[in-house]
Amino acid sequence: MMPFSQSTSTGPLAPHDFGPSGWTKADAAHLLRRAQYGASPAEMEQAHRAGPAATLDRLCAIQTESAEFTRADDLLRKTALDTGSTANLQAWWLHRMLRSANPLAEKMTFLWHNLFATSNDKVKDVALMLAQNDLFRAQALGDYGKLLHQIARDPAMLIWLDGNANRRRHPNENFAREVMELFSLGVGNYTEKDIQEAARCFTGWHMRDGEFWFNDTQHDTGSKTVLGSTGAFDGDGVIDICLKQPACPRFIATRLLKTFVQPEPDVATVQALADCIRRHQFQMAPVLRELLASRLFFSPKSRGCLIKSPLDLVLGAERALVTAPRLEPTARCLEELGQAVFLPPTVKGWEGGRLWISSTTYLLRANFASELAAGTKYGPLMDLDAQARDHQLLNATQAVTHYTGLLLATPPDAAVVARLRAFASDQTAPATRDRGLLQLILALPEYQLM
Amino acid sequence: MAGSRRIFLGQCGTAGAASVGGSLPGIWQSAVRAAGWLGKPGNSGRVLVVVEMAGGNDGLNTVIPFADDAYYKARPVLAVPKDRVLKLNSSVGLHPKLGDLRTLFDDSQVAVIQGVGYPKPDRSHFRSMDIWHTARPDSVDLRDGWLGRALERDPKALAGGVPALALGSEKLPLALLSGRVNVPNVQSMDAYKLLPGPGDPSAQARAKQMLREAVALKATEAGGELDFLRRTADVTLTSVDRLGEVAKAYKPGATYPETGLARKLQVVARLIAGDMGTQIFYVSLGGFDTHSRQQPVHELLLAELSGAVGAFLKDLKSHKLADRVMVATFSEFGRRVAENGSLGTDHGAASQMFCIGPGVKPGVTGSHPSLTDLVDGDLKHHTDFRQVYAALLQNWLGYPAEPVLGKGYQPVDCVKG
Repeated sequence: MMPFSQSTSTGPLAPHDFGPSGWTKADAAHLLRRAQYGASPAEMEQAHRAGPAATLDRLCAIQTESAEFTRADDLLRKTALDTGSTANLQAWWLHRMLRSANPLAEKMTFLWHNLFATSNDKVKDVALMLAQNDLFRAQALGDYGKLLHQIARDPAMLIWLDGNANRRRHPNENFAREVMELFSLGVGNYTEKDIQEAARCFTGWHMRDGEFWFNDTQHDTGSKTVLGSTGAFDGDGVIDICLKQPACPRFIATRLLKTFVQPEPDVATVQALADCIRRHQFQMAPVLRELLASRLFFSPKSRGCLIKSPLDLVLGAERALVTAPRLEPTARCLEELGQAVFLPPTVKGWEGGRLWISSTTYLLRANFASELAAGTKYGPLMDLDAQARDHQLLNATQAVTHYTGLLLATPPDAAVVARLRAFASDQTAPATRDRGLLQLILALPEYQLM
Repeated sequence: MAGSRRIFLGQCGTAGAASVGGSLPGIWQSAVRAAGWLGKPGNSGRVLVVVEMAGGNDGLNTVIPFADDAYYKARPVLAVPKDRVLKLNSSVGLHPKLGDLRTLFDDSQVAVIQGVGYPKPDRSHFRSMDIWHTARPDSVDLRDGWLGRALERDPKALAGGVPALALGSEKLPLALLSGRVNVPNVQSMDAYKLLPGPGDPSAQARAKQMLREAVALKATEAGGELDFLRRTADVTLTSVDRLGEVAKAYKPGATYPETGLARKLQVVARLIAGDMGTQIFYVSLGGFDTHSRQQPVHELLLAELSGAVGAFLKDLKSHKLADRVMVATFSEFGRRVAENGSLGTDHGAASQMFCIGPGVKPGVTGSHPSLTDLVDGDLKHHTDFRQVYAALLQNWLGYPAEPVLGKGYQPVDCVKG
């Protein structure tokens, strides 16, 4: 067996010591809930049997997809391209998120989509959005620096941030601003002057016939000063300068921590991961391998502390409970909850955390729980009688223990358990009892956490 | 209600005395003025309706300095010709699509506050919007907003109910965020319902009851994520029941235009008529980021604003509710003075705010910022937006402004004494 972690880090990124109780089912469930969009009971058992090292190795390397998956994927992709419909494009990606043999790669693909948030509302071209998504997937466990260079030439991005309007005599700051503010450094790490100068570097980076086109007549070849460096830089020059800034790995570290570990990482933790990112030269697979094996990741403070995004909530419930999730209502539900993929609300993407939760979205989340548990709209539920048989759910207490363990990130308060038991004990037939119980658990504030 | 109001006005007086020093009499007087209406029966229950103009409204083509040649020089294509401006005085006037606002102005129901902004203006939509929402230009602390903090001063809001409401947005606006008071947001009234779960009606009723009990539990870690989720779930289940009952008898007293903003304001009117005790409503009108081909888009947006607000106040008047309501508009920034090369305008700085309703001190307040004495091509502000917030909080709603805004700001004189 491979060592659990090859990390040489000390501090928060040092490998977690599982101690005398070893790698528990709860540890396996914690890892899978974070590294993929939820997990089925079978996946959790499999990860628990395989152990942490094998599970992380599988997640952090690209696995061959099954023939069955590839057939469905090809068909959905072709349908999206043929129809040019955003809804079909969403169905294609949601299927990947639910069924791909590379769930962490899909989660990272989404992380890039959220970072380089581009909306088909403005691009209005499914083929270009799909090409951009392929770009994200190619670097999902790959090289952030390479991706930053590629995204500056990506046709969908050029449309989204008005590349063609950036001309020698009239520099348009839109892309240059976002490269620094949202794609690599964050507010406070550059000046307005840096943006104006960077915009000059990107002049003439245009798009023609759906492809990147360097329009040299519109490129400003003069000398520019960006973040303290002076030269006749072009766009690649600006990106290399951004990648060298200490703020850049910190910016990516913050995003990774907020997605996978904790809502408000402290400065020292961010710096520790930033150092790790710099050491691995922005290669995501080894960074994720260290992060997801770390003391920090498995600490009690990192459990059940992240508010689920709609993707985590909806796909997670479907993966856990629904045998064949229906993609179209799933996409519509995600849109209502505020996370229509390929249609981010702004160039800032989805901000997440507490901003996911308002009374409107809470109601929608509770209503999703009701409709999912009914087993029609989102697809049939797994066989609840078989679950009750296999796991010997002979009474309300056993049913509550089983399903809270499957669905909740941390054990709920005794007062919550008491109410779940009281509800479940009034029901006789296991299937009826557990359907109602599932609805109630999925509607709980506790289920909104992972 | 009056009793609880008195409690926090008491706090306001103390806070004012503690730190504003020289400006104490002014602050004190406004607090007393604000307290005055509280004691009068039938005059309580004031409401503030905030209209956010998202994207950065071109203030220069909203309140137009038509007498200044520099305006026409800076805007060779986009300037509104002098003869089409709806003149408010000898130097400024409204865009021709703001007809309803002009009518309200003539009826002494509009205060135009010019030159509003903040020091070191930020031209990022997100950052500047956050600054307006938090009223904290010097901090990136996004844990609460100015209205959320105001509600924390109100024991009644702390006790629950629906003290404020955001309409039409999927997310709760940051302005209404608070660590202690939860404000519901309603994206669509029709969809604001709790669906029954599986099982027979008695199982459904029991499931709902169990959920209500579970969300009302106190979390061990106050202020943590579970605490936040439980409080939100609790206010959600409460407000669903309340909104379901309210104002079924309401009939609009005006014809609202077929626009998004008008639909939202009509719901606000219905909820005010239903008297749920909600003091603050928040709605947003987006699309003001007019970098290119500005004119047709901007005209439509201004017409939407004007038509919706006009119908709203007419409706309220017909229900004899207008005196209780004030509308305040803002945008995260104005736009550059000079138009750009794509028939549009880029992100700028200072701009104006409107306060609208019978309770305003009407007229044009403050001078129009100079079009030639600029900072980086942008108008200089002379009035801090927190001075307007102070007026709305203290002189209109009766909240203490200083603890909410972090220090004492001289309120702009836009609320009737």
